Amino acid sequence: MGDSSVARRLVDAIIANLPEPAPGQRPVHTIGVGADGYFMASDVARNYCIAEHFKGQRIRVSVRFSNGQGGPKQHDGWSDVRGMATRFHLQDGAAADLIATTLAEFFARNVEDFFEFTKVARQQPVQRESPWRKILDMLQLKEPARDPYPKQTTSDGAGILNYANRRRFAQLAVFEAGVIGAPVSYARATYHAIHTFMVEDPHGVRRPVRFSWQPVAGVRTTDPAATPVDKYLRHELEERLRRWPARFMLMMTIGEAGDALDDPTKPWPARRVRVVMGTLTLTNLAKDQVADGERISFNPWRLVRGIEPSGDPILHARRCAYEVSREMRDGCPFRWS
Amino acid sequence: MSGEEGWFDRFVNGLPETRVFQRLASWVLVPYWSWRTPVRPLPGGPHPSIQPGDNLQCMMNLIMPLKEKSPVGRAKAALAIAQNKDAIYAGLDNVGTVHFARFVIVGDNICMFSVYDGDFTNYIRDFIATIGSVFNAVVELVEGGEAVIPCEHNVEAFIQWVHERDLYQVPDTATDLLRDQEALNGDKAASGNDDLRLLPRKVVLQLRANANVSLGSGYRAYPGFSAAQVRNQLGIGW
Repeated sequence: MGDSSVARRLVDAIIANLPEPAPGQRPVHTIGVGADGYFMASDVARNYCIAEHFKGQRIRVSVRFSNGQGGPKQHDGWSDVRGMATRFHLQDGAAADLIATTLAEFFARNVEDFFEFTKVARQQPVQRESPWRKILDMLQLKEPARDPYPKQTTSDGAGILNYANRRRFAQLAVFEAGVIGAPVSYARATYHAIHTFMVEDPHGVRRPVRFSWQPVAGVRTTDPAATPVDKYLRHELEERLRRWPARFMLMMTIGEAGDALDDPTKPWPARRVRVVMGTLTLTNLAKDQVADGERISFNPWRLVRGIEPSGDPILHARRCAYEVSREMRDGCPFRWS
Repeated sequence: MSGEEGWFDRFVNGLPETRVFQRLASWVLVPYWSWRTPVRPLPGGPHPSIQPGDNLQCMMNLIMPLKEKSPVGRAKAALAIAQNKDAIYAGLDNVGTVHFARFVIVGDNICMFSVYDGDFTNYIRDFIATIGSVFNAVVELVEGGEAVIPCEHNVEAFIQWVHERDLYQVPDTATDLLRDQEALNGDKAASGNDDLRLLPRKVVLQLRANANVSLGSGYRAYPGFSAAQVRNQLGIGW
């Protein structure tokens, strides 16, 4: 089950570094919106995984989209990681969760790395870099520091950069997070469940896999040069779903011997076999946003027969950390399948 | 961007897009930093790997400058391919590891782009055996080609010649370019005292050293399957 004291320290470390705490709310991915829909597995999904939601029947789903930043302030237009947590409602009240973000890799290999990250990546006062400093950077063919957003007073950007500069394993995630931008819609981003899971097929063959959601509407971000808008993603999704459902394809990449199974900082090569596992159709925003947008609690360990966690230490740490966080904000109790 | 942004901030933020700065960068900054922090060309072709998926649908991207840089020279290259159409198909069907191959004329270069399964040297070796005459007809028109033809008599030299003209494949992830540069310099450390903000300079200098590159390892609709598997599944034999 994991060490709950470590989980508590993990959650506390995250809360301690928030620009503004949000008691009773999620410490990260605080701002979010719930949506309803259904999932239909593809014809081939059952050949790869025996889990109930891949058998082909229509499965009701609840999805929570979120901005990665912690705290009560909403900044939809800021460059930030976005979350997409999906619950597959199965028979007899059972369920399976799939938690994904727009960042394809993580910046820590294990809990120790994560604690180091929280020590280095502290919120610090931020101000616009002097134009002369920028000119000096340009003369060195160096990326000048990004201007702070309007009314942004603190940032963990400098600390994160410092962390990555001394840890090559973290550089990919930090670089990608730095250029990730803001989606024009929650339905126009690709979301990756960064960890490896083991899936079992009908013949008992187990395969290491990684899942990702790919938007049928395509990927698009806002203009980074434009002044960011703080609140638009929820309204945009509501309007979008009022007109037409939003769809995502669930893609499953199959790893090979030699791929990083237990290290979420390492991507798998693009040459791995990708299987279409099904299509998610979102039909409307959840009517009860308190229950289905806020109190709903996801956990990457909420799995069913046919899908198992890998040995990824971050995945193992998330099990208890999510529970601790849920208890702290009085989220809906967790039911194991 | 922000309300406190003054005219000088706006001017400096827009500076990289100005013609003056771009010329300064091309004529002064890039040569200067190339001299101060030299970057060596990275080798072409797929990254070595023992993993099965990495040895399927590999890319070869050859750009070969024609000796005769004129419409006549380009026409000769086009004719060399047209005259050998049957030989190319015969080679493809006999080798059985090629997904597709294309000959393209860009400027005064003849380019060969192909996607193949398996080891690079075996791929070229197989083609020398089956369509060596086509290679000879094309390479004869290319700068430096006379040293390695007939390819049937210069197998190892020919493979090396082709490898040297195969484009560097920029990794799919930006920071893996840094890892390639470090590996070329013998730096295998897990951690260093790096500066990620220097990534633009490193990319620019690498593209100075490798002027022609393939961007990424290719985008595939059905990765992880060989040409033989695809044909078998389609029931069209091989």
